[in-house]
Amino acid sequence: MNQSHIRNFCIIAHIDHGKSTLADRLLQITGTISERDMQEQVLDDMELEREKGVTIKASAVRMRYQARDRQTYELNLIDTPGHVDFTYEVSRALAACEGAVLVVDATQGIEAQTLANLYLALDHDLEIVPVVNKIDLPSARPEEVAQEIEDLIGIDAADVLPVSAKEGTGVDTLLEAIVTRVPPPQGDPDAPFRALIFDSHYDAYKGVVVYVRVVDGVLHDREPVRLMATERQVEPLELGFFHPQMTPSDRLETGQVGYIATGLKTIRDARVGDTVTLADAITVSALPGYQPVKPMVFAGLYPTEGEDYNLLKDALEKLQLNDASLIYEPETSQALGFGFRAGFLGLFHMEIIQERLEREYDLDILVTAPSVAYQVKTRDGQVITIDSPAQLPDESTIESIAEPWMRISVYTPTAYIGPVMEMTTKRRAEFDHMEYLDEQRVRLEYRMPLSEMIVDFYDQLKSATRGYASLDYQFDGYREGDLVKLDVLVNGQPVDALSIIVHRDQAYQRGQRLVSKLKKVIPRQLFTVPIQAAVGKRVISRANVKALRKDVLAKCYGGDVTRKRKLLERQKKGKKRMKMVGSVEIPQEAFMSVLKLDE
Amino acid sequence: MPIGLYLHIPFCRVRCTYCDFNTYAGLGRLHGPYADALAQEVRLLASRFPRPVGTLFLGGGTPTVLSIKLLRRVLAACFDTFAVEDDAEITSEANPGTVSLDYLRALRHLGVNRLSLGAQTFDRGELAMLGRVHDAEGVRLTVQRARAAGFDNLNLDLIYGLPGQTLTSWARTLEQAMALTPEHISLYCLTLEEGTPLRDRVLQGRLPAPDPDLAADMYELADDRLAREGYRQYEISNWSRPGYECAHNLVYWRNRPYLGAGAGAHSSIKGQRWWNVRPVQTYIDRVTAGGATPWPSPAAEDGEIIDRALEMGETMMLGLRLTREGVAEADFRRRFGLSLEEAYGDVIRELVNAGLLTWDQTRLRLTRRGRLLGNRVFARFLPC
Repeated sequence: MNQSHIRNFCIIAHIDHGKSTLADRLLQITGTISERDMQEQVLDDMELEREKGVTIKASAVRMRYQARDRQTYELNLIDTPGHVDFTYEVSRALAACEGAVLVVDATQGIEAQTLANLYLALDHDLEIVPVVNKIDLPSARPEEVAQEIEDLIGIDAADVLPVSAKEGTGVDTLLEAIVTRVPPPQGDPDAPFRALIFDSHYDAYKGVVVYVRVVDGVLHDREPVRLMATERQVEPLELGFFHPQMTPSDRLETGQVGYIATGLKTIRDARVGDTVTLADAITVSALPGYQPVKPMVFAGLYPTEGEDYNLLKDALEKLQLNDASLIYEPETSQALGFGFRAGFLGLFHMEIIQERLEREYDLDILVTAPSVAYQVKTRDGQVITIDSPAQLPDESTIESIAEPWMRISVYTPTAYIGPVMEMTTKRRAEFDHMEYLDEQRVRLEYRMPLSEMIVDFYDQLKSATRGYASLDYQFDGYREGDLVKLDVLVNGQPVDALSIIVHRDQAYQRGQRLVSKLKKVIPRQLFTVPIQAAVGKRVISRANVKALRKDVLAKCYGGDVTRKRKLLERQKKGKKRMKMVGSVEIPQEAFMSVLKLDE
Repeated sequence: MPIGLYLHIPFCRVRCTYCDFNTYAGLGRLHGPYADALAQEVRLLASRFPRPVGTLFLGGGTPTVLSIKLLRRVLAACFDTFAVEDDAEITSEANPGTVSLDYLRALRHLGVNRLSLGAQTFDRGELAMLGRVHDAEGVRLTVQRARAAGFDNLNLDLIYGLPGQTLTSWARTLEQAMALTPEHISLYCLTLEEGTPLRDRVLQGRLPAPDPDLAADMYELADDRLAREGYRQYEISNWSRPGYECAHNLVYWRNRPYLGAGAGAHSSIKGQRWWNVRPVQTYIDRVTAGGATPWPSPAAEDGEIIDRALEMGETMMLGLRLTREGVAEADFRRRFGLSLEEAYGDVIRELVNAGLLTWDQTRLRLTRRGRLLGNRVFARFLPC
């Protein structure tokens, strides 16, 4: 294919603004997929994605399109993850494109993540082709939304294309616009081969399959290649492109998008952002922008039933095959037994992993309160990074503790500025500035500790704004803070899995809430169980779970024996599922109560 | 050793709001066919298990909704086919306010020598909440009539832990019950059973949820009060004058063999326990057709084999309900060929330390606190 006839583009859209429907329509109109084979939302091939209405895994589909100039073009649609946790992955996908179709819902207007990704796209100098979608809906206001786009990014509102992906209206015009407005890929076909990895998946037969955009040169079938950052050298098992299935090909040329089946066994060996070169091309320089995996949120994952430990281990190994950003290592808790400490890109990522473990692997797992990575400076001058309150050294040896702060943007209708200000202030956010997007909508900018965001923040933001607010965030930097470890003692014994690190000003209030919450969820035992929250040796809150007085079947006659015995057996089994801390039985949900302190 | 024989009468005039027993209102047309089927099952059980009968219990439902003629037919089947001992305890349950003096005389004449009356409470509001058909006066009247008909062994059932019930109203009910000088009193803490109207009303918030700590106070109040009046506790929920313990129920708690006839009745004998189908018509059809089942009754719905480990566990679960006799070392050893220490040494020590059991090397019994926490004890002896 002539380089001038290649167009590489992605679609930037907010959840539910119709990205998947539009992608389906493009595939259909270009004949990439027949009507008969048309599955709803081909690009999202995981059940979970469909339910969440977002794309977790990127894809790259090649289409052939005959334009009005009678020429045939090769269009490569590169799908981008739709969530803020995957900003780095999004940036690599954008780096593989020359253009971006910006899809905005004609009834909703632009949302925070869309804008964040749009700015990312502008940073990469992508040609933006704006589209207002869902013009078929009665509540659509395409002219207003087009004006909003013009105000925001300076593209003439007249150049904003009205589309109904659902009904197919305007999609032809969009295809033409992609051909005419998006520039063909630059790159030197005669230079040594270089390709950017922007995604990957694991295939049981072909090993790690990396998705690449060829930047320079040509790769021929069977030529050994090298992954520069991870320093792996392999002889590819197959080259090809997605149509939308994997379709083998004998070469990948400059500007093209396709895949290389590497045969590698672990996905961590093929990191997104890495550069693929020929094995013997020693002097070639790596493409810019590569970053190693950097988990931001950490949590303990424990099997509900101790004997499921190995199943959990297997499941994590399998998930990691396809998810290079998931990291974990074994961890032992005195309260919960054997489990794993896992690191995630963000909260959403954590939620996905948790759901997949439960759904795809049918595991009952207990996830402890998430933590961020703290940098602890000790009195002897060392700096250690900890990702669990249990790892915090003794108070007396600590010089200072620093925690990660984020820059966050909240997009909200002006009516909710008050509630948003209130809830962010409670979470130690520092207000930076506010910007009116139009008369009804504002962008609020804050700096905020990540630890304040990882429990319930997004849900609360949504409920404080009746679902209207959207959120974007990125890492800002580490800052020292007056942080303390809040311990929980049940019957006089500290329970490691319930400890949290909090700001000193919040310790008292959090401790009180935690104690009263635990008092509700810990069932009465044969003896009085004191629950205490403590900072260091100082108890800041306490409550007692009163001793149980009555638990006896009133009747047990001839006709009751079997039924009542089974009732007792069920009771007994239920107790076995509780975690014993000392002589106290603590139900699983107690360990989750740290998560819901604000109710 | 004689067995216990239970006959289930699954009919009531009205269903009470708390009741989840196998009983039906408005099935009058089935009384006759049911009595016949019951008699037939009794004859069949007698042929399969020709054992002497030491106790007989007519339970329900409300056995006294059946006519004397039908009850006679049922009891005749028992006397004709089983060797019912001369001094057998023969109990019938009855609802206060629904039985005449003549009826009670005839019942006594049929051989029934113990009457168990569901008084439940003497408080008008509480009776209405429970959906009882009688009032407090009806209880007094029925006791008088029962005495006049020659019953010298009476039980009153009372329920405590009712929604909205106070310690004071409970104490008043107790006083009124004791004033009628029954030989036996059963006190049952209300269980809100699945599917009952009373439970639904509590779940919907239309009635206050009972407080288990208050129920414990009520239990202890009753325990003290009854003791002062000369009633001896012998089971978690049962008190009597000395010598008037319910012999039939002792069969259950001692985990001895019994046969149950009738819709939904349970039998436990020779290492198996089975239970009959519950719907009245189904029961009649099954008995009449007389087809084979894996169990000894054609009406059996299902059952279970009781192996030795389970029998041991159940012997503990039931025997420990007996507050005075508990589980005797000698009985246990005779039955299972090993000592309680050998079977449950660690569990016993732990529960003794927790203050729930007393163990004097001859009898294992619940402590006063243990009586209110029986489930915590029983479960520990079950094999699962």
